[in-house]
Amino acid sequence: MSAEAQALPATAATGPLAGLRVVELGDGTAGPYAAKLLGDFGAEVVKIESPGGDSARQRGPFADDRPDPEASGLFLYLNTNKYGIVLDLDGAAGRAALDRLLARADIFVTNLPAERLEAAGVAPAALRARHPALIVTTISPFGSDGPWVERRGDELVTYAMGGLAYSTPGIPDAANDLEAEPPLHPACFAAETIAGLAAASATLAAVHNRARTGAGCHVELSQHAAVAALQHRDITTYSYLGGTYNRLLNPTTIGRMPNFYLPCKDGYVAIAAVIDIHWERLVEAMGSPDWARSAAFANGAARTANWIELRRRLIEWTTTVTGDELYALAGERQLPVFPFYPVRKMVESGHVHARHSVVDIEVGGRRARMPAAPVAMQGTPWALRRRAPRLGEHTAMILRDWLEAGNVRSGGAL
Amino acid sequence: MKREAATATGAGKPLPLAGLRVLDLGQFIAMPFCTLWLAWLGAEVIVVESRRHLTSRTAPPFVPGHEGDPDASGYFNLLYSSKKSCTVDMTTAAGRDLVRRLAGVVDVMVDNFSTGVLEKLGLGYDVISGINPGIIAVSCGAFGRSGPMKNARGLHSAVNLFSGVADVTGYPGGAPRILGGVLPDPLSGTYASFAIMAALHHRNRTGCGQFIDLAMYEAMMTLIPEAVIDLTLHDRDPVRIGNRDRVKAPHGIYRCRDADTWVAISVESERDWVALCRAAGHVEWQADPRFADAAARRANVGALELALEGWTRTMEPQRATAALQAQGVAAGPVLRCDQLLDDEQLQHRKAVITTEHPTAGVQRQLGLPWRMDSAGVEYRRAPLLGEHTHEVLTTLLGVSEAEYARLDADGVLS
Repeated sequence: MSAEAQALPATAATGPLAGLRVVELGDGTAGPYAAKLLGDFGAEVVKIESPGGDSARQRGPFADDRPDPEASGLFLYLNTNKYGIVLDLDGAAGRAALDRLLARADIFVTNLPAERLEAAGVAPAALRARHPALIVTTISPFGSDGPWVERRGDELVTYAMGGLAYSTPGIPDAANDLEAEPPLHPACFAAETIAGLAAASATLAAVHNRARTGAGCHVELSQHAAVAALQHRDITTYSYLGGTYNRLLNPTTIGRMPNFYLPCKDGYVAIAAVIDIHWERLVEAMGSPDWARSAAFANGAARTANWIELRRRLIEWTTTVTGDELYALAGERQLPVFPFYPVRKMVESGHVHARHSVVDIEVGGRRARMPAAPVAMQGTPWALRRRAPRLGEHTAMILRDWLEAGNVRSGGAL
Repeated sequence: MKREAATATGAGKPLPLAGLRVLDLGQFIAMPFCTLWLAWLGAEVIVVESRRHLTSRTAPPFVPGHEGDPDASGYFNLLYSSKKSCTVDMTTAAGRDLVRRLAGVVDVMVDNFSTGVLEKLGLGYDVISGINPGIIAVSCGAFGRSGPMKNARGLHSAVNLFSGVADVTGYPGGAPRILGGVLPDPLSGTYASFAIMAALHHRNRTGCGQFIDLAMYEAMMTLIPEAVIDLTLHDRDPVRIGNRDRVKAPHGIYRCRDADTWVAISVESERDWVALCRAAGHVEWQADPRFADAAARRANVGALELALEGWTRTMEPQRATAALQAQGVAAGPVLRCDQLLDDEQLQHRKAVITTEHPTAGVQRQLGLPWRMDSAGVEYRRAPLLGEHTHEVLTTLLGVSEAEYARLDADGVLS
C-alpha cells in the first residue's frame, strides 16, 4: 500500500446501506454519482472500468493542470468509497467475469449507452431474466424508448430540455434583456448530478420493493425527465392558467416587490421585503430616507407598481454597503437579506468548517478539499472509508474475493 | 380509500413504500417535494395543516374564479398529490399533543421550519424519539441545524448565493447569477428522499431510527465539486464562462429564428465537429484554421459562436435540432417550463401525469423520472383542506367520536 493510501482514513462499513453489494459500469458523472451515493452511505461498490478508464479521469482539475488519469479531481471526488477493477468487455472472458460479479450483487448501476450494454451482454431485459433478484438501474439521456431514443444528449442538452436553462437567471434574479442574456447553464455537471441522485433514490425504492416481494427491478431513468421532474413552481402556472413562461425582470415573473438581486459595495445581495413588516424593517435599516416614506412606496401594491424606481433607489443604498454589513443588518433586524458568497468565502467560512461540509482530498499528491456528505445522518455518520481507486487497483482482489475464480484471469479478462 | 382520481402506473404491481407512514410538517417546497415522491411510491403521507395558519394553500396560481379558495391553489395541489390532509392547530396545547401522538405512530417525520421552531412546539427529536425510538426524522434548513449560521434567514436565493453555485453561473466576465426553478428546494427534497430510504434500510436491519440534519446549501454544493477542488488545489477562483465548457467547443445555447427561441448544441469530438459543419451546410468551416481542433475553437470561441449563430438564427429550434441530430450531434431545443408538459418524449414516458380534483379539475404535472418493471406508482389528487382529519385521528390515534367532537368544538381541529 502506498503512503498516499495510508494517509487517508479507512473506517469499517457502517453506513445505513452496509451489506448491499453494488456493481457500477459508469462513465462521467451520472452513473458514478449514483454509485458514489450508495457507496458513501455504506454499500460495497465495485466500479468496472474498461482498460481505457472512465472519461472523468481525463477531466481534471489536475494538480498544476498536468493531465494525469490517476489524479483528476472530478474522478477522485465521484469515485470515493469504491473498489475499482478493469474488465475488457470486448472479450468473452471479461463479459463472463462481469456476469459472475452480477450474480453476487444486489444492484447494477450503469449510464453506458444501450448498445454498449447489449454488446457487453448486460442488456437490462437479459439481466433481469438471468438474475431475477438483481436491481438493474439504467440512466440514459432520454430513456429507453420514445421519439428521442436514438438521439444524442449530454449534460447541456438534457439540462436545456429539462427547463432549467430557460428559467435561469431565476427569482429574484431575472433577465434584463432577452436577446443579450441567453438561457443559462451553470458551469458544472448539474443535470448529471441530478440524474445520479434521482437514480440512487429510485434504486433504494427498488431495494424496499425487493425486501417485501423478493423481486428485482429494472429502474429505467431518463436524465432529461429527472431535470424536468424538479420543476414545480413554474409548471403549476402553466397547468392552471396557461400562457407562456416569462423570464424578464418584472412583477409578473418575480411577484411582489421589493424582491431583488442587486449589486452592493463589494458584491451582490438578494433582498426580499414583500410583506409590510419586512419593508418597515428595511426602511429603518436604510435610515428611514424620505423617499421610502413617500406615497409611491406607501403600500405593497404601490411598491410593486413603482418597482423600477424602487429598484433604482435600493441600488443607490446597497452600493454604499458591503455584503458583510448587509448580512449583519439582516441578523440584527430580522431581514430577509443575503449576500453573495464566492466559492472561496463559502469554503473558508466558519459555518462550513463547523459542519464539516468539505473534507480533505489528495489530488496528484497535493491537498485539496471536496464536498462531503450532502445530508448529515446522525445515527450512521458519513465517512470517507476509501479514496477513489487507481485504474484496476482492486481487480485481482475483487475477482478473488467475490468469485474465487482463478480461471477468469487465465481467460484473459484483465 | 377513494381511488376515482388515480392515475396508476403499473396497475396491480406492488407499491415500493406501501405500509410506510410519514408525518409531513413541511412548508413551501423542499420537504413537501420529498414527501410527494414518497407518497407516489406508496407511502401514507399525513400532512398537518391549520385553517388559521395556511401557507401553501394561499399561494397562487388559483383556478380562475376560485381565487383565495384553499382547495384551488395550484401551488398546493401539485405538491400535495397523493397525500392526506389533517387539520390540527399546533398553536394550541391540545393540537401539539395530537401531533406528538401522531409522531408516535409514524415511521418518518419531516420538517423545514426555521431552526428551533419544532423544539419550541415540544416536537423536537429529543422529545419525539422518546415516544418513538424507531422514528426517522428529517429536519431541513437553508443552513442546517448546526453551525454558527444555523439561524440565518434564507430563502432559495440565499442557498444559491451561499452554496457556490451562483459563482459558476453567469455570462462571460459578468456577475454571478441565481439559478432558476428554485432548485435548492426540490434538490434538497430529493436528497431527503434518498436519506429516508437509506435510513429505513438501516432500521430494517438494526431497529434503530435516527435524526437527519439536511442543510440545503450542502445539497447544492454537490453540483460544483470541480469548482471546490480547483479553488482549494490551486487557490484559483472560478471564472464565469456562460454556457461554454472548459474542454468542449462549440458548447452553448444559440439564438434561433424567432425572438427568445434557442437551441443547445454540444460538440464532444472532432467527429461531432465535422458532423456539425455538414448539418449546418458549412463544410468550409472544416478547413478554417481558427476551427481546426477543440483548442483552436476555444481560442476563437467568439468567431466560432458568431459563425454558428449565423446558421441557427435562420432556423427554428426543432429544425436545427433535427438537422444536427440527423448527423449525430448532441442538440436540443431550450424548453420553457410551459413547454415541458407538451414535450413528446416526456409524454411518451408517461412522465407527464394527470390528476382530477373536485375544485381544480384536471391538471397536469411531472411525475417520477424513472420507470420500474416490477413495481407500481400511484398518482392521486391532492386532499381537500381537512379531508382526512376524522379518519386519521379516529383510526390512527383511536380518538373517540366524543373526544373528536370536543376537540372540534374547542377549535383544535381548525
